[in-house]
Order: sequence, then C-alpha cells, then structure tokens
Amino acid sequence: MASLQEYLFVSGLLFAIGLAGVLVRRNIIVIFMCLELMLSAANLTLVAFSRFNTGPDGLPDYNGQVLVFFIITVAAAEVAVGLAIIVALYRARQTVDVEDLTSMRG
Amino acid sequence: MTLALILLPLFAVIAILMGANPRAAARNATGMMLFAGLGLAALWALGTRTFLGVDFLVLSKPEIHLALNFFDGMSVIMMLLSVIVAYAAARTGDCEDRHAKLWNISLLLIAAGAVGAFLSTDLFFFYAFHELALIPTFLTIGILGRGDRKEIAWKVTIYLAFGSIILLAGLLWLIAASGTPDLSFESLLKCTVPVAAQRGIALFLLIGFGTLVSLFPFHSWAAPAYASAPAPISMLHAGVLKKFGLYGLLRLHPLVPIGMASWLELIIVLLLGNILWVGFVTINQKRLDSMLGNSSVMHMGYIFLAIAALIAAQSESANPIAKPAAILLMFGHGVTIAMLFGLADRIERLTGTLELRDLGGLAKQAPKLAFLFGLAAMASIGLPGLANFAGEVMVFIAGFKGWEPDTPPGWVQIATILSLWGLVISAVYMLRAFRHIFQGPTVEFTRNASDLSARDRSPAVLLAAVLLIVGLFPNILLQFLEQPEAVVAREQAHITQHPRPPQPAGSAPVQPHPSPSQ
Amino acid sequence: MEYLAWLLLLLPLLCAAAIQFGVKDSPAAAANLSVASVVGTFLIAVLLVFNSDFSSSFTWATAGTFTIQIGILGDQLAKGMMVVVTGVGMLVHIFSLGYMKDDEAKARYFGGLSIFMFSMTGIVLADNFIMMFIFWELVGFSSYLLIGHWFEKKSAAEAAKKAFLVNRIGDFGFMIGILMLWGILGQTFLFAEMEAPAKALPESQATIVGIAVLLIFCGAVGKSAQFPLHVWLPDAMEGPTPVSALIHAATMVAAGVYMLFRLQVAAGTSIFEGFAGTTIAWIGGITTLLAALMATQQDDIKRVLAYSTLSQLGYMVMAVGLAGEAGIEAGQAGMFHLYTHAWFKALLFLGSGAVIYACHHEQNMWKMGGLFRRMPKTTMTFAVGTLALMAAPPLSGFWSKELILAQALEHNPPLFWIGAGVAVLTPFYMMRLFVVAFLGKPRDHGAEKAKEVPPVMLVPLIILGVLAVVSAFSLIASSIVPDNDFHAHGFHPNMVFWISLGALLLGAGGGFLLYHGRSSDPLANNPLFKLFRNKFYLDELYLKLVGLFQDTVAMAVHFLDEFLINGMIVGGLARSTAGLGNIFRRLQSGNLQGYAILFGAGILLVIYLTVFAR
Repeated sequence: MASLQEYLFVSGLLFAIGLAGVLVRRNIIVIFMCLELMLSAANLTLVAFSRFNTGPDGLPDYNGQVLVFFIITVAAAEVAVGLAIIVALYRARQTVDVEDLTSMRG
Repeated sequence: MTLALILLPLFAVIAILMGANPRAAARNATGMMLFAGLGLAALWALGTRTFLGVDFLVLSKPEIHLALNFFDGMSVIMMLLSVIVAYAAARTGDCEDRHAKLWNISLLLIAAGAVGAFLSTDLFFFYAFHELALIPTFLTIGILGRGDRKEIAWKVTIYLAFGSIILLAGLLWLIAASGTPDLSFESLLKCTVPVAAQRGIALFLLIGFGTLVSLFPFHSWAAPAYASAPAPISMLHAGVLKKFGLYGLLRLHPLVPIGMASWLELIIVLLLGNILWVGFVTINQKRLDSMLGNSSVMHMGYIFLAIAALIAAQSESANPIAKPAAILLMFGHGVTIAMLFGLADRIERLTGTLELRDLGGLAKQAPKLAFLFGLAAMASIGLPGLANFAGEVMVFIAGFKGWEPDTPPGWVQIATILSLWGLVISAVYMLRAFRHIFQGPTVEFTRNASDLSARDRSPAVLLAAVLLIVGLFPNILLQFLEQPEAVVAREQAHITQHPRPPQPAGSAPVQPHPSPSQ
Repeated sequence: MEYLAWLLLLLPLLCAAAIQFGVKDSPAAAANLSVASVVGTFLIAVLLVFNSDFSSSFTWATAGTFTIQIGILGDQLAKGMMVVVTGVGMLVHIFSLGYMKDDEAKARYFGGLSIFMFSMTGIVLADNFIMMFIFWELVGFSSYLLIGHWFEKKSAAEAAKKAFLVNRIGDFGFMIGILMLWGILGQTFLFAEMEAPAKALPESQATIVGIAVLLIFCGAVGKSAQFPLHVWLPDAMEGPTPVSALIHAATMVAAGVYMLFRLQVAAGTSIFEGFAGTTIAWIGGITTLLAALMATQQDDIKRVLAYSTLSQLGYMVMAVGLAGEAGIEAGQAGMFHLYTHAWFKALLFLGSGAVIYACHHEQNMWKMGGLFRRMPKTTMTFAVGTLALMAAPPLSGFWSKELILAQALEHNPPLFWIGAGVAVLTPFYMMRLFVVAFLGKPRDHGAEKAKEVPPVMLVPLIILGVLAVVSAFSLIASSIVPDNDFHAHGFHPNMVFWISLGALLLGAGGGFLLYHGRSSDPLANNPLFKLFRNKFYLDELYLKLVGLFQDTVAMAVHFLDEFLINGMIVGGLARSTAGLGNIFRRLQSGNLQGYAILFGAGILLVIYLTVFAR
C-alpha cells in the first residue's frame, strides 16, 4: 500500500498542474478545467488523510471522506453554473480568451 | 409616531419597486407625510412631548439608538420644512416614463433622509440619514441632470464627500473628547468637552458642515448642481437638505462654544464671502437657474451671520435672538428657494429657455405665474410680510445685540452692516431677472406661452401660503422655540464650568484662547 | 378706538386680498371695492381725529426675552397724517375711476392702490421702528407695482426697478441707523420708550448718535428722493398719473419727513443737534435748489411737477434738519408744509392727469397750449394749485413756506438765501408750465380736440382746489397738523414776507414775460440751461458709476470665482484626488491571470507569515 507521502505528492502535483494551467492558459474553459483539477487535488488530500488517520478501533476517520462528497456535490453545481456563465459569455462576446475579456480595467 | 414620517416614503419606495405607479406613490406618500407632519407639529405645540418618539437599540457597544423624536422645537420646524417642501417637490416637474422610477424613488429617499436627519436624536443616525439622502442626489444629477451632468455629479460628489469626511472626523473627535456614554444628543449635551480639544473640533465641524452648506470658498458645487439637477431634486436639496449643516452647527454649538468663538473672525470673513462675493457672482449670471443656485448660496451667508452672532455671544442666553433668527431664516429660505426652483422649471417648460436675454413679457401671457414668481422673488429679497423678512430682520438685530454704544462696532456688527448691503445686491439680481422674464414686450420664446393650470400651480400656491402665514405671524414658528427653563439652567451650568473671558457679552472680538499646547 | 384704528389699517389689506383672490376678473367690482374701502378709511380717520389718543399692540415675533411688536400709536401727529393720507387717497381713487376707465388691468391697478393705502397707513400708525421699516419696505413695493403698471413698456419697467433699487440703497443706511439707535437708546424700538434714554445720553456718545441719526436719514433720502438719491422720482412718472399724485407727490415721498419728525417727537430734537441736523438741513437745501433748477427746463408736464415735488420736499427736509438747532418748531413747520403741499401737489398732478387724459396721453407741454378755452374748469383748479405752489398769499402754500423760511433765517442764514432763491425759481417754472400749456394757441391735434373731463375726475379737482386755498387756516388745520407758530401766534408781515413776496413777483413776472406767446423754449440753447435740462448729467454719471462698480466688480468676481476658487484652490483638491485615483487605476488591469498571480502570491505570503515567520 502506498504511503501517505505518495498520496500527498500526487495531490501536490495535481494542484501545481492546475495552478500552472490557471496562470498560463488563455482559454477560459481550460482555466475552468484546471480549477477543477485543483479541487480534485484538495479532495485527494482529504481522502488520503482520512485513510491514514485511523482511530483507536482501527477504522479510518470518515469525516474527511464525507467532506469530499460534499465538495463533489457542490463542485458539480458550481460547474453547472460556471459553464452556463461561460456559454453566456461566449454568446455575448464571441470569445473565451481571457486576454480579450478586460472590461473591468480601471 | 415620528417613525411614520420616515416609513411613509420608504414604503412608497418599496411599492414603486414592486410595480406601483411611481408618480402616484410619491405624491400620495408626500401628501400623507405633510398631514402627519402638520399633525405632529400641532400635537407638539399643544404640549405633548412624550409619546411621539421611537427608540430602538441598534448597537450596544458603542451604544447607538435608532431614536426618532423631536429633540426640541428646532427639530419640529425643520421637519415641517422638510414635509412641506417634499410635498411641493413631488408635484413639480415631470420626466420621461422610463425615468419615472428613479426620479420618484430619489425624491422619496431624499425626503426620508432629510426627515430622518432632523428627527434623529442620536448622533450616528443624524449623520447616517443625511448620507442616505445624498446618494440619490448624486445619482439623479448623474443620470437625469442637464448639461454636463457627469462632471457636475462628480464635482458634487467630491465636494460633499470631502465635507462629510471632515465632518465625520470632527464628530468622532467630539465623541472621544466628550467621553459620552452613548451617542444620543441628550447625553452628549450633558458632557463637557475639554477646552483644549474644542478649538480643533470646532474647526472640523465648521469646515465639514460648512462645505455641506456651501460656505465660501467651498460653494462652487452648489450653483451648477442646482442648475443641472431636475427641479424637485434642486428644491429638496437647496430647500431642505442643505439646512442639515446649519442645523448641525446650531445643535452642536453648545458643546464647543469656546472653540467656535476662537474661529469667529474666520467665520465672519467666510460668511461675508458668501454674501458679497457670491452676491456679485450672482449679479453676473445670465441664466435663471444658475442665478437662483448662486442666490441660494448667497443667502446661506445670512444664516451664518446669525450663527456668528450666537458664536460671539457664546451662549443662547447671552443672545437669545440669534438662534431663533437663524431657524426662522432657514425655514423661510427653504420654502422660498424651493418655490423659485419649482417655478423656474415651469418657466422652462412654457418657453423652452432660461436664458434671461431670450425672455420677456411673460407676465402678459401668464399673469398667475408672474404673480407667484414675483411673490417668491420678493420673499427672496426680503419683502416684509413674507417669511424671509422676519428671519432677516431678526438676524440683523441679533448681530447688533451685543453692541455697546461706547465701543466701536465689533466684528459681528461690521459683518451685519456689510451684510445689509447684500439686500441691495439681491434686489439688483432678482429685479433684473423679473424684469427680463416677465416685463417688457413679449418676445419669440414667450409669445405662445400659456398660463399655469390649477394643477401646475398647486405646489407653488402651498409654498406661497406658507411664506405669507409665517411672514405675517412669525410667532407661529417661533413658539416652537420657547425655551423651557431646563435648557436655560443647563446652559448656565455649562457656562459656570467654562467661564467666559471677562468681556462685555460677545461684542468685542473674542480672544483666541489657550491652544492645546499651553 | 383701537378696534377702529386696526380696521383702518386692515381694511385696505383685506380689500387688496379680495381683489387679488376674488374679483380679479371683474374690473368694475374691483374698482368699486377699492373706492369703498378708501372712503371707509377716510371716515374712520376723520372720526379718530376727533377722539382721544389711542395705542394698542400685539407681539409679532418672540425670541426668549426679546420681542418685536406690531402696534398702532394714535397721537395727534399720526391721526392728522391719517386724514391727509386717506383724504388724498380717497380723491385719487375717485379720480382714477375716470382716468383708468379703459385700462386693461384695472383690477391690478386698484389692488395696487389698496396695498399702498395699507402700507402707508402702517407707516403713519407705527409705534416702533421695526414696524415702520416693515411698512417702509411695503410702500416701496407698492410703488414698484404701480410705477410698473404698464410693464410692457420698457421705460416703465426700468423706472419701477430703478425706484425700488434706489430706495433699497437708502434703506441700507436706514436699517443700520435703526439698529444703532436701538443699541444707543437702551435696546428699544418703541417710540414711546425713547424719550428717557435719549435725554440721558452722555456727551461722549454725541458722535455715534449723530452717525445713527444720519443713517436713519438715509432712509428718508431714499424715500423722499433727496439729493443724491433723487434720481428715481422723475423716472417714476412713468406710472399712471393718479399714482404720481398719490404716491410720488402727496404721501409716500413725504414719509421720510414724517419719519424724521416722528423721531423728533419721540426722542426729542436733542439727538439732531450738531452735525447730524446741519447735514440734513443742507441736504434739503441742496435738493430744493438743484431740483428747482432742473424743473426750469423740463418739457414733460409731469416731470416739471416731479422736480417741483423734489424741490418742495427739500424745503421740508431742510426744516426738519433745522430742528437740531431750532428745536421742534422747525420740524413742525416742515410738517405743516407737508400737509399743505399734499393737497395742492395732488391737485396739480391730478390736474395734469386731466390734461393728459384730454390730450390723449400727450405729456409734452409744447404740444399743448390753449387749453384754458377748451377745459376752463380744469384750468381754473390748476391755476389755484399753481398759485399755492408759488406760495402766493393767502393760499395755503404761502403760510407753510413762510414758516420754514423764517426758521431758516433765524438759525441758518445761508439756507434762507437758498430758500429765497428757490422762491424765485418756483414761480418761474410754474408760470412757464401754465403759460405754455394753458394759454396761447393749441400746437397739436391732441390739444385742439381736448374736452373738459367728466365729473368723476372734475369733482376731486374742485375739492382739492378748495383745500389748496383754505387748508392752512386754523379751522381745518389745527386739529390735523402738529401745533406750529402760525397757528399759535398768527401772522405778522416781516422781512421774510417782503423777500418772498418780491421773489414771487420776480419769478412769476419773469416766467410770464419770457414764455408768453412762445412755441419753443427760448432758453433751450443756453449752455447753462442745457445743463439744467440734462439734470446736471447726474443720471448719466450714476449709470456710469453703477456700470463701473457693480457690473465690473461682478464680472471680476465671477472670473475669480471660476478661476481662483473653483480652478485653483478647490479644484486642486479635486485634481490631486483624481491623480491618486489614476495611480490605483493601474493596478486594476482587468487581466484575470494577473489577479490570479497576485492572489497566489498573497496566499503564499499569508502561509509564510502564519506558518514560518512565527
């Protein structure tokens, strides 16, 4: 069985990939996917900690895993809203490139 | 019960947001406010004091109450002014249907804010309600204004925000220095502010309130704003909201009498700037609306003169005329300027212009309009029998109250004499305007004008009646200011705690007194 | 009695209100209402004269211990003056029925007259200075209304404005004077309470008292059109002629004299001693001379009368000013002249109104002529008025002027000689007016077709004509005018009498010889008389001065206001705020990823601070 360190390493890698994608990619859908990646990284961390944090009865601490379910549910809702916004944005502006979406500039 | 005065316009705002007819809602709400206000004032005059107020604890540390009550007669008079002008404003002017919501909501919010500020007996809400009323003012000028509306809206915003921030600083300093247990006026006025802090606080209050009242040299926002804003907004702001600063000065003066007195010379120079400088600026105006805007700035100088007389005397008991004079003139000016702005709007609707040189002979076409405008113009230049005169003459008497014939005239007396020249100045521009608009032969713009219908006249008729009643019997208002003994006693106690410099009652210039460093 | 007096005050106001808000659309009703009210006030005034004095007041404004009263004070002086005011007022109202018969805005006209009667009554009955000031302003306002009655005419509108503004300038001083006197006399406005503190004034305050009195006199300078504020009165002739008769000849313009005399009665003449009284007397003297000189060269029949009014008012002011030296007798002489002058000057103005009416609103006397034959009754009454103004014995004007000249001779000889000189000029210009307008041949169509005026206008003329003859005699005058030398001691021919008789003959004879049979003015090209004709160019001078000061200053201030205050001082604040905003604006790029990098960096910083930096 893989150790906690390995889980955390994979999670960190996922998070870094996500962050890098958010920072460098221009397409807003890709950015959005990268955000989801970062969210998954957090989920993975939670599950890993849960698995390795066994109580006196030898069972894992399920609180972390329940929280992951919550996050997945909320993330699904968020994706639905987020994608809807992106579609609306595309309809309005005919682009999903963040370089072109600078109407908030002061 | 006083809460009703604020809830009425707020409910009307909600009703408009939920789809009620904006114009009808605003008119009904202001109408009910007028009746409620008159009723409450009558109850107050008959001696009822206790059951009118509301008092909610909003925050317990520091203790802040949403308390609405008539703190004294001054509040009653200012409330009356607010509801009367609000009633007239809601019936003046009109706009395109797509703006009706914004227009009427702004109007109602300003009215609510003004009434709230005058009725709050708590310093926090006194300030907050005024800010509430300012926001719709900015918005309406920016969206519905005439001319260069964006820039004017910015200008007004910057000026008034500047004034409000200075004022806020002054108020906070005042609260800290007084060590008051809560923010109600009652406990505040029981406190004594250390002399060392008074000077600074007084300056902050003067600049802060002064900017809101368009005290020279912070006056240049006022005239363009009134010229640009829709008529009802100008009426409410120039007539009612601007009096907030004067009201505040009168209200808080007993806390910092010595500090105020040390700025007497400054105040006098500035108020003469209002009367003479702005007076000359007014003479030079070519459009009726900017002339009226400037004239309203100029007339603030007279009210400041009364305040200066009060400041020189340092207490109400030493110069009992000053404060009633200021309040009476505030009321008179508020009604007059609202009437003038309302009628100017009518003139523009009838003829399509407000350029004085393009107009002429309108009295022939519209005698009723000419009568009403003439009445308001005469009130504005202080014709006896109309409210402003009573206020002005009392202001001048207050100015000479402290004079001893053996001594040369003091600062306040000199200021009074110079201010009297302002009566000539205001007669020059008002009569010139009346002459250009109404007299002489009819011209292109006025040839097809028709007279006002009864419906169009109604707001001006109400204001005219108020001017006449108060002008003929000023005691109707002044009775609200009869001092209960308690106030006098409290003031005496205050004076004994801070003995004045040994001088004849406020006639000579007051010595600057020990600065904080000493 | 008090109730009657209050009614006397309020009746015209109620009438004006009824006209404005009730019967404005029915001119005839308005006219009748107004006439009825003025007849009512006249009857009340006569009734009051024969009753005891009265006083009554109510509190108008209260501030702590301070109050302003509105009250009526019915002493001999006020009651007599009321008879003059309501008497002339009544006759003028009746005359107006004919004169303004076809006017479009008859209701407004009669409403204005009623407002005026109300205001004038208030001045006369006032028992304190603030109330007097209130009504002082109101007469000015009603005068503004009535001068500007034909406001479509540019000249009328301008004249109304000018009258109001010039009066405002006088009132500027008046109000300061009232306030100073209030401080000096122990903070009372009430006439009844002035005597004691005025008696007790210390010598050290003589200068300040003198200044206060002179400032109060400023009010009279404005209202009674004394030099240098006389310029509005001739222009005020733009108003309807009956208005000129009532307001600008008989009553309102005399209010200044009345006010000063009221002060003398209330506080004693001692406060007029010294430079204050002398200055007042000299201002009166200068006015009487200048106005008489200007009157010699006017062509407009009403303007001649206007300048003669100025001149006569100068006499009265001179008399009141002499009271500082001479005591109350001089003031009484002035009041006596006010009283006689009111009748005969109203007569002259109404007479000129009748002439103007008959000549279809022609006012230039050189276009009249020969009116004696066409309207003999009017001419007869006009002749009586002329004689009274010339101070021909034994007409009323003679007695009162004699008193003033006697006082001047005794207390200020230079002023007496000025007065005597004017006594030559007055018959001269009146003779010129009479000869040119009424004698000789008609010189224009209007005069040719002139007819005698209807009875409604003629009757007031005849009544006034009778009064111009007899009003000075004790039978009528003693209960109306304040006591004076003439009624106390009768008349004895002395040096003053012979001098003024000589002056009368010289002036009248000269005028008759020079103008009889002429159709244009033989003196018109004389440079000196040109100066008179152009009123010493004072109007032009004032216009220049006003233009220079008021407008230039206004323009300069406007410029500075825009540039200095708005642009530099306060605008600087706005600009610095804007600059600061510009800097912060850079940070807000609108670039999503830029924000994300900052956000990430921020989180790293927070992690570092919370985890590692402890």
